[in-house]
Amino acid sequence: MFSDIQLTNYLLVGAFLFVCGVVCMTTKRNGIGILMGVELVLNGANINFIAFSRYTPLGLDGQIFSLFVIVLAAAEAAVALAIALNFYNNHLSIDVDRGDELQG
Amino acid sequence: MSSETLTIEEFQEIGKALRFLLMVAWLLPLAGFAVEIFAGYWGHRRSKMASFLAVGCIFIGFACSLGALIHWGTLTRWGHKTVAESQHHEGKSEGEGQTGILDAGKLPVEFVALADKPTAHKDADNDDHHTTSGGGHKDAHHEGEHHDDHHGPGTPAFSGGFYLLGSFGDIEIGLDYYIDSLTLIMFTMVTLIATCIHIFAIGYMSDELVEDYVDHHAHTSDGKHVHRPGRFYRFFAFMSLFCFSMLGLVLAGNIFQVFVFWELVGICSYLLIGFYTERKSASTAANKAFIMNRVGDFGFLIGLMVIVTYLGTFRFADHEVNGAAQPGLFTMIRGADGHIDLDQTVDVETGNDVNVVLLKGVDGETLTNANGKNRTIPYWLLIVAGLGVFGGCVGKSAQFPLQTWLPDAMEGPTPVSALVHSATMVAAGVYLAGRFFPMFTTEVLLTIAYIGCITLFVAATIAVVATDIKRVLAYSTISQLGYMMLAIGIGGWGAGLFHLVTHAFFKSLMFLASGSVIIGCHHEQEMPRMGGLWRKMPITAFTMLVGVIAISGLAIPGISIFGEKIAFSGYHSKDEIVATALAFMQMNEQHFLLFLVPLITAGITAFYMFRLWFYTFAGEPRDAELHSHVHETPWVMTTPLIILAVFAAGCAIGGTHGPLWLGLLNSEPIGLATGLTGQLSGIATPSHDAVHAVHSTAGMYALIVAATGAFVAYLLYGAGVIDPGDIKQQFVSLHTFLVEKWRFDELYDAMFVRPVHIVASWCVGVDRYVFDGLIHRTARTTIDVSRWDRKFDEGIIDGLVNLVGNAVFSAGRSLRVVQTGSLRQYIMFIAVGVLVLFVLLFAVFPS
Amino acid sequence: MGPILLLTLIIFLPTIGAIALLAVPKDNDEYLRIGALGVTVVTFVLTLFLLGDFNTDDPAIQPVFEVIQVDGATEPPDLKLLANYDLSEGKVMRDGQEVQVQRGITIPWIRTWNIEYKLGYDGISVPLLLLTSFISVLAMMASWSIKKMVRGYLILFLLLETGMLGVFLALDFFLFYVFWEVMLLPMYFLIGIWGGPRKEYAAIKFFLYTLLGSVLMLIAMLMFYFGSAAHSDQTSTFDLLELAVIAQNGLFDQQMQMIAFVLLFIGFAIKVPTFPFHTWLPDAHVEAPTPISMILAGVLLKMGGYGILRIAFPLCPFGAHWAAYTLVVIGAFSIIYGAFAAMAQTDFKRLVAYSSVSHMGYVIVGMAVWKLSVDTNALHHWQLGINGAMFQMIAHGVSSAGMFFIVGVIYDRVHHRDLNQFGGLSKLMPWYSGLAAGIFFAGLGLPGMCGFIGEIFVTLSAWNYSPLLAIIVAAGVILTAGYILWTIQRVFLGPEYRGPHAEEITPMNGREFTVAAVLLAFAIILGVYPPIMFDLMGGSIELLTETLQQGLENATDATSTAGLPGN
Repeated sequence: MFSDIQLTNYLLVGAFLFVCGVVCMTTKRNGIGILMGVELVLNGANINFIAFSRYTPLGLDGQIFSLFVIVLAAAEAAVALAIALNFYNNHLSIDVDRGDELQG
Repeated sequence: MSSETLTIEEFQEIGKALRFLLMVAWLLPLAGFAVEIFAGYWGHRRSKMASFLAVGCIFIGFACSLGALIHWGTLTRWGHKTVAESQHHEGKSEGEGQTGILDAGKLPVEFVALADKPTAHKDADNDDHHTTSGGGHKDAHHEGEHHDDHHGPGTPAFSGGFYLLGSFGDIEIGLDYYIDSLTLIMFTMVTLIATCIHIFAIGYMSDELVEDYVDHHAHTSDGKHVHRPGRFYRFFAFMSLFCFSMLGLVLAGNIFQVFVFWELVGICSYLLIGFYTERKSASTAANKAFIMNRVGDFGFLIGLMVIVTYLGTFRFADHEVNGAAQPGLFTMIRGADGHIDLDQTVDVETGNDVNVVLLKGVDGETLTNANGKNRTIPYWLLIVAGLGVFGGCVGKSAQFPLQTWLPDAMEGPTPVSALVHSATMVAAGVYLAGRFFPMFTTEVLLTIAYIGCITLFVAATIAVVATDIKRVLAYSTISQLGYMMLAIGIGGWGAGLFHLVTHAFFKSLMFLASGSVIIGCHHEQEMPRMGGLWRKMPITAFTMLVGVIAISGLAIPGISIFGEKIAFSGYHSKDEIVATALAFMQMNEQHFLLFLVPLITAGITAFYMFRLWFYTFAGEPRDAELHSHVHETPWVMTTPLIILAVFAAGCAIGGTHGPLWLGLLNSEPIGLATGLTGQLSGIATPSHDAVHAVHSTAGMYALIVAATGAFVAYLLYGAGVIDPGDIKQQFVSLHTFLVEKWRFDELYDAMFVRPVHIVASWCVGVDRYVFDGLIHRTARTTIDVSRWDRKFDEGIIDGLVNLVGNAVFSAGRSLRVVQTGSLRQYIMFIAVGVLVLFVLLFAVFPS
Repeated sequence: MGPILLLTLIIFLPTIGAIALLAVPKDNDEYLRIGALGVTVVTFVLTLFLLGDFNTDDPAIQPVFEVIQVDGATEPPDLKLLANYDLSEGKVMRDGQEVQVQRGITIPWIRTWNIEYKLGYDGISVPLLLLTSFISVLAMMASWSIKKMVRGYLILFLLLETGMLGVFLALDFFLFYVFWEVMLLPMYFLIGIWGGPRKEYAAIKFFLYTLLGSVLMLIAMLMFYFGSAAHSDQTSTFDLLELAVIAQNGLFDQQMQMIAFVLLFIGFAIKVPTFPFHTWLPDAHVEAPTPISMILAGVLLKMGGYGILRIAFPLCPFGAHWAAYTLVVIGAFSIIYGAFAAMAQTDFKRLVAYSSVSHMGYVIVGMAVWKLSVDTNALHHWQLGINGAMFQMIAHGVSSAGMFFIVGVIYDRVHHRDLNQFGGLSKLMPWYSGLAAGIFFAGLGLPGMCGFIGEIFVTLSAWNYSPLLAIIVAAGVILTAGYILWTIQRVFLGPEYRGPHAEEITPMNGREFTVAAVLLAFAIILGVYPPIMFDLMGGSIELLTETLQQGLENATDATSTAGLPGN
């Protein structure tokens, strides 16, 4: 039965995760929520990497890439949380819609 | 031919001695000048030192010249000795000549190459190897040559070089000397007259011996007389410089050197005419003299150019150049008996149909050019050369049409007029015409004769009405110079130069006498205010009378003492000219005017000269006031008068048998004695025999005419039988015309002076309006172009750049609204963007 | 002193002096002037050393180095200065043996372009070098009248001298061009800052005119540079001697020679100047301060003539011969035109400036009368002409510098130059008038003074070339006499001075007297004994004429033989 599971299936799961993440990022006003969306997106990508490492000549490289992504996601989460903390100190909220300093 | 001969060594010894003596006489005045010109600074203004120096220099010069003349005369038996036979051959003479010099070992080394050697072109009577193509006439004359009839060939001229100014291949231009009897006589004459005049000038110029000289003829703008320091020393400095230049001119051994000193005497004349620099009239006259001389020199230059182009040398005498013998000008042109060797075959290259073959030596050998053909000069160019050089003579000797400067030159102090403008410098033109005679073709000679003829008549007519005592003499000088030119032009070479010498004496005498009158009358020059002066100034009056008789050519006919006619110098020389003219007329009848005009003018001459004398010295005083102050001049002025009077009376003693005439004839160009015939013009000059044959007839005519002239003058001005005023009334327009000097000055002013100024202002106009205008317009155009350029830059190029910038800026600005700063929106964009990319990907590459 | 050091010092000593002057405080005018004068005097002495080294028997370029070839070596051969040698048929012999020589100093400068620092001198440049350093000394003595910004003036003056000396010594076309331009800038500032009322106008006019000439010269220079590649065993070259040899062998084709000659001639004619390129001269002269006028007339104008003889003629003999008639016409016209224009002037200095145009016309005529003599088939008349032209350049250098100085002296006193407002100076300033009359007579061409020899020799040479033009040239003597005598009359003669500032007319001071007297003395020495110059330059000019004639014949032959196969 597992032999029926093809690359497409994995990619569909990845795409689903990715889309969930994106939807999460666009809909949440809470900074932490957005962070979670980001994690979803990254993990969607990770699934793709793993799948490619299994089904294509990419080999171990895909798994190593995903390891890097995991590490990077951790680092990114730490930085993002620090930003959120700072944001909260400035705005007494973590509603990202209230921070529009990047406006041109 | 003389049986006596000189060896080459003897000849060279004489040459060296003469060269030394004449060099001393020539260079001493220059040394004098160099010292005197600074006399105003080392001495005081009242010192006569400068004049003593000048007199000393010129007197030593006279002594040397006289010594040279006597030395030459005794050693060559007055030019009768020829040089030993062996020297006639070109090659040999050179070799020996050089050894002789080297043995003598006295000359500096650089002179050895240019050493004295006989110019053998005169000693030609013993060979007759000529082959001529066109000169058939000569044989007839050659046969009839009589050696006892004339006195050449004699001792050849001594020639050599001092130093070279430059040498370019075979063309050598340098300072040479050429000494023959003519040179020696001129030297003696010039230095003698100059000495007398220098002494006279000590008296004449003595009013300059002050710290504060008042010039009554020059006024400042407030009407006062000009005060200036006396310039006694400067006068003598200039006189010394003049003597140097004049003697250099006479000594010159090539035509270029003649030109050099020609200009130098010109500048001395300029300085002396303009001596009273404060007077506008004086400086203008000086300018006029120099510039008119330059007009003549322009012709001279053309002559020089032709000569250097075709003959390649300026030297009169044969010479050695780059180790080869180079014939002198005279040798090249004239063959053994004075003929010109013509080649009438048409030269295909140049198209000249008549060429003169240039000769290498007297034996008729021709010069060959690089192609081995005979060297020739087109005949017409020889005429051009002759006319050109004669142009210089016309300017210097104040001949028609360049005669107008000489009367104005009387602005100078009277001693200057005596020395420069009567005796020496103006006669230099005649001297040159004589010296250069072998180069003149018969066509040129005829021109010379006619120019002389016109001049002598025009000047004499003006002299008749002139009232300024010096101007009468000036016109008389021009007229007499015309006689000399006429004489040379009709082949009377000896007669012309004879008259030159006699004229120098009596004219300088008359000028000095007039100077004495001017001093005696306190600077009054107008004859109408004089009269009766002889009582107050007897010495001046009688010495002047000697001059007047001499110039008029009066003699006492029929009586002779010791076989000599009782006559003053002018009689002999003018007689000779008239005789030559008569003989010439007999041979060339169409040119009868060349006899008639001088004959008639002889009468006019006598008339105006006696008019001058009677007007000034005889009769009753016309201005009592002036007369009462008149006094005889001091001895320093009268002594020179007496000395000159002696020479004026006696220098031509013996006439055509006297020493002066015979001395001059020693240098007579070869062939003249037997007469020359122009091969193309057909004009023949009379031989000595022909002249001699008519001598007594001509003398009688001349005497009658002169006596008539003198008698008329006596009637009008001496005895007062006829009132000259009446005659003047009768011919008032003619009189005015003559008083206005035939209106030459006005003519020249309209013809030359004004046009020159107009052209000059045109040139300036062209520069200012055409060239500078062009440049300014270019500059303005450039500025305009730059302006356009600026506009283009600022408007279009810069505009374009700004437009791009602005567009980008506004595009950015419009995109700004998208930049909300809202994070979620950004993510939305990313998501949508990715989606779009996917869609596009699949739309474009639908795998 | 070795020739390399000597020649380099001659050129650059003034520059060193100029730098040294920077170290002197600004307001020590007197020390500055004396220092600058010292530099010019030392430079003059150095040129005298050069004269001492000059071998008049050798007509070609000097100094001469013996080439010592080491067997089988590939590096450049050793050079040894050759002091004693003989010439036999153009070959250099030492102890009866022919030796291989190199003429002139050659040091590579810009190797990429084969540009060399090449210096040397011959009979044509030595007289001009002497003239330059001599006139510089006198002009420096005349510079005491400059009161404004003295240090800057002196520095520019010395730089100018470097440029002038460099032009006369350079034998590399590029180097020549560099010095030519170096000289231009100081001149611009000297006129533009220290000049008269219209100084800016005059300076710019001078600069633009000269620059135009330079540009034309540059084009010609490049033509020769690239044209030489085909005929030189090396690559292209700027070496004037090598280029001249190529031209002598007739290897530059006729078309190119004609174009190049026209370009070069216009370039140099502007400097001479000849009609119709002369209008910068009166303005520049009138506005320039006196010493600069002296330099301008005395030296700068000579560069045009020198350039024609050194570059335009040797590099395009065919072109020169082709244009010779035009040149003589231009020269003759300049003589007459300059004299007429001078006659109509009322400004004293402008008159002298136009007299320069007239006198320099003789230079062009003398150079261009290229024709075999009638009978000898030799070039004697042309040699007479070029010698006359060269002498005229020297003579004009002396006499016109003198004339400008004379004008300057009176201008310093009365501050005007109107000829109609002078008169009577002979009484007020006797020494001045005496010296001035002498110098003016030298300009008039009086025998016994320098102007005569040049003018008369040129005139005499002209008939052989063209009788008509010769007559025009000869007519110049009348006009010259006219305007000079008229000037003397209006300025020095007459009863009284008629202009303003009469009270300021004082006799010359010692310095002024020295300058004028030295110039007059030289005018007389040159006029009485011209061989001192002809001995220097005669040989070189003879060689030049023969070389050119060869070059002409080769260039003509080259075409005729090249044309044959087609027929």
